Order: sequence, then C-alpha cells, then structure tokens
Amino acid sequence: MNHKDTKNTNQASLRALRAFVVKNLHYAVLLLAILFALAPVYWMLTISFKTEVDHFATPPPWFSFTPTLEHYYDAFVTRSFGQYLLTSAIVAVTSTACALVIGTLAAYALARFDLPWKLNRHLSLWILSTRMFPAIVTAVPLFLMMRDVRLLNTRASLIIVYTAFNLPFVIWMMRGFFADLPRDLEEAALVDGDSRIGALVRVVLPLVSPGLAATAVFCLIISWNEFLFALVLTQTDAAMTLPVGIAGRVTQYEIKWGVMSAAATVAIVPILVFALALQRYLVRGLSMGAVKG
Amino acid sequence: MPKSRRFFSARVKRDLLLPALFIAPALAVLLSLSIYPLLYSVTISLQQQTSTGVNWTFGNFTRLVSDNFFWTAMAHTFVYAVVALACEFLLGLGLALLLNKQIRGRGLFRASLLMPMMLPTVVVGVVWRLMLNPNFGAVNGTLKQFGLDTENLTWTASPRLAMLSVIAVDVWQWTPFVFLVLLAGLQAIPQEPYEAALIDGSSRWQTFRHVTLPLLKPAILIVLLLRTMDLLRVFDQIFILTEGGPGFATETISLYIYRTAFRFFDFGYAAAMSFVLLALTNIISAIYIRFLQARETV
Repeated sequence: MNHKDTKNTNQASLRALRAFVVKNLHYAVLLLAILFALAPVYWMLTISFKTEVDHFATPPPWFSFTPTLEHYYDAFVTRSFGQYLLTSAIVAVTSTACALVIGTLAAYALARFDLPWKLNRHLSLWILSTRMFPAIVTAVPLFLMMRDVRLLNTRASLIIVYTAFNLPFVIWMMRGFFADLPRDLEEAALVDGDSRIGALVRVVLPLVSPGLAATAVFCLIISWNEFLFALVLTQTDAAMTLPVGIAGRVTQYEIKWGVMSAAATVAIVPILVFALALQRYLVRGLSMGAVKG
Repeated sequence: MPKSRRFFSARVKRDLLLPALFIAPALAVLLSLSIYPLLYSVTISLQQQTSTGVNWTFGNFTRLVSDNFFWTAMAHTFVYAVVALACEFLLGLGLALLLNKQIRGRGLFRASLLMPMMLPTVVVGVVWRLMLNPNFGAVNGTLKQFGLDTENLTWTASPRLAMLSVIAVDVWQWTPFVFLVLLAGLQAIPQEPYEAALIDGSSRWQTFRHVTLPLLKPAILIVLLLRTMDLLRVFDQIFILTEGGPGFATETISLYIYRTAFRFFDFGYAAAMSFVLLALTNIISAIYIRFLQARETV
C-alpha cells in the first residue's frame, strides 16, 4: 500500500516534470540558441583579455584566467589602431549625415508628390536596383575612378562611396516612414498657409524623427562594418578603417591573436550600443522596409 | 485653347519643380557613383592591354569560357549559397514556429540573437578564426574535453573541411535574421484561419501546409531573396577566414574577381567576370520578384 503510494506519487511527479519540460521546451531551445549566438563572441572577448600563455592553455579557460590589458595597450597605443578607429568614426558619421539629407528629401518627394509617367514607382524600383549590385562589381571601376582623380587612400573617397552606398537604403526606409504618416496633417498645415517646405520641416520631420533616427543608426552600422570598398580604396595607415586594419593583421604570417581580438572587441562596442537602441526597427531595416516587424 | 495650355504647363512646372529639386541630388549621386561606374566597367571589360597599347576586343569574355578557375569559383559560390540558404531557412523556420508564442524576456532574447548579424563581417571572421584554430580554438578544445580525437580537425586549414567551416560561419551569423523575419511574418497572421482549420478538424501538418505556409509566403520569399543576393556575393568572411584557401578550396566568385583585379591587376578580365556575377544575381532576383508579384495579384 505504502509502496504503491510512493510509486503513484513518483509517477505523478514524473508526469508533472514532463509537462513542465514540454511547456517550457521553447525556453530551453531559446537558451541554447542564445548560447550558440553569444559564446563565440565571448570567446574572442576572453582572448583579448588573456595573456599569451593563457591563449594556448588546455583545456581552454572560459572563465578562470588573469585578465590583462596589454593587448589593448599594444593595439591602440603602440600600433595604429587608434587612428583606424578615428577614421572609421569620421567616415561613418560624415557619410551617414550626407546620405540622410540627400535621401530624406528624395524619399519625401517619392512618397508625397504624384509624379508623371508612374515615376514614383519606376524611380523607387530603379533606386532599389542600384543597391542590388554585388559590391565587387562596382569596386573595380570605383577603384580606377578614384585613382584617376587621385583620391585613393583618402577618407574622402570612402565618404563619397558610402554616401552613395547608403542612399538607396535611406530612400526606401524613409519612403516607408513617410507613407505611414497620414496626409491630413500636412494638408492641414498647407491650408493654414504653410509652404510645402514649411510643412515638411515643421510638421512631417518631427513626426518621422524616430524613423529618421533608426535609419541613421542603420547607416552608421553599415558604414562602420563595410569592408570590401575600404579594402580596395585605402591601404595606408592614415586612411584605412578599423576592419581593414584588423584584416591586415589577420592575413599576416605571424598573427598577434591578442592584438587582433582587442581591436575586434573595440570594433563591436558601438555596434552593441546601436543595435540595442534600434531593436524595434531591426527587421524592418534589414529587409529595406519590406517587412514591418 | 492656348490659354488653357499655358495654364496647364504653368501648373505642371510649379508642381514638379519642388519634387524635381528634392530628387535631383539623390539622382546625381546614384548616376555618378552607381551607373557611371557600371558603364565604365563595360568599357574596361572590352579592353585588353597589349604591348602596343589598348585593344578593343571581346577577348575577356571569350577567355571566361575556358577558364577553369572561373568555373570552379562559380561552383564554389553555388555550393556555398545553396547549402547555407537551406540550413539558414530550415533552422530559422523551425525556430520561428517553435517560438511563435508569448515569451517572457522577449527583448533580451532578441538582443542576444541580434548580436551575430550586427557584427562587422571582419569581426565575425576573427571570432571564428579564434574558435576554429586547431591549436587553441574553443571548438577543438571543447571536443577534446569530451574525449574526441581532434588531430585531423584543422577546419579552415583542411581542404575537405574548409568549405564546410565557412558555410557554418555564415549559418551562425545569418540564421537569426531569417528567424526574426519569419517570426515577424508568423505574428502578422490573423487567428481566424486557424480557428477555421480547427473547426474543420485539420491535423497540425495540414494546418501548417494549407494555412501557415501560404500566409507566410511573402515573408519567406523576401528573406530568401535577401539572403540569396548576399550569399552569391559573399566576400568578407571568407577573405578573413581562408582567403579562398587552402589552395582554391573556398575561392568564391567575388574573391576570384578581387584577386584578378587587385593582385594580378587584370582589371579588364575582372570587369568581365563581374558582369557574369551581375547577370546571375539579376536573373535570380527577377525570378524571386516574379513569385512575389504573382502572390500579390492573386
């Protein structure tokens, strides 16, 4: 009797446990997915803080090691990574600002004016198609063009190219945000005697400012991360961006793993801040406005 | 009559001047930095440097046909794109279906899954060189702890495993994107069709096949289109991870074009190859877009 009782309670608790596991299975999968996504990045982080002796320790120390900042000092003080960092920042911010101004104006015109010959649709699609070129296709002629005008190995060349590269993205994102806005607001402003530009500046832009901010952050990330054009156009310490600087160290014969990890870790920091800031718009941005996640 | 025409043209002028002014700068930038380079590239591809000067010729295009390296790089690109796309799609769809429910800590998990795809591709390359390093990488280190023999697991340095390694890295980076887009698509599906399916007594598989899949199709097509375009042009990660090696084992078409242009300085041939890549991506995206539009008009 007693025995049967314990068996019953055992079975019951087993069933409860199974129900609990099944009910929370998605949390288990989720945790596993997060672990997979983050562990490799964490591994790089540890390498950047480990002494070279610890790099080669077996089994690999994930948590227990004596942290050091020597690689960061080496990368940003002894070597030129500080300069690459500065170049990356200047290029990203300037090209984003240019693309935003030029792109927002075009997007507003495409979203709000009825152009003849179905130009709204045709122009938008044409603009999108310029973004679909594989980068290597334009990298070759752009290299020759920049060489002809003597802009190779300058920050200006990257700013120009990134502005053009980000423009279709800005236009498509902002066109979507403008289209989401009811027309009544502007019409009310126009009826009140405001000019078209006045309505844009005083009524429309404040309303789309969250979208504008999200688009700006996206452009910053894209420019910050860009590699191929930077690799092709800049080869000198004075002009190269952080990704090109890191890549140059990776393909060398003797690789300084700690220095490389330190530089790569620093390259992630702004991205982390930005990505957290625009979570809500992420899917929309990555699909160029096609999916409103 | 002339009066009304004058009135009409004045109206058109006034109404078109402002949008024209707004669009002109963008158009100028795109024409000079996207379209002009493309045309310039056409002229480069039709030229060959000879000892006597520049020759106008189709030689760069005919050379393609018999260039084994080119076709091997093409084959690599296809293998890479197809395998990575299949893995990312199936994993992403599976995760999206499993996690399409109320979840606590949603923001946190989304932020963590974002991480891989927001990283600079160069950093992704660095991360995985560190992970897959045969001497001190975490992958082999962990396998060793489980008692596995890792002697021959040199990953990116092994001719047989290198392609698998670079594909795995792509899957790691981009599955979260596929997942997030499909999850957004799933959550936009209304409840009614599911209730109808329930009343009809449909099985779970039937419901998935006849309700979920058709309604998810636009999101699926968009995510497949975006991933395919990116996969066909892949350059950055492979450049960092293997530089196309060992030997030629992971050389994709973008890498081969880069090498031709910037290592061998044969810009004409590189331009010719890049047009083949461009044509290919155009054809494939046109097919996707046709499917998308077919869906919209129904």
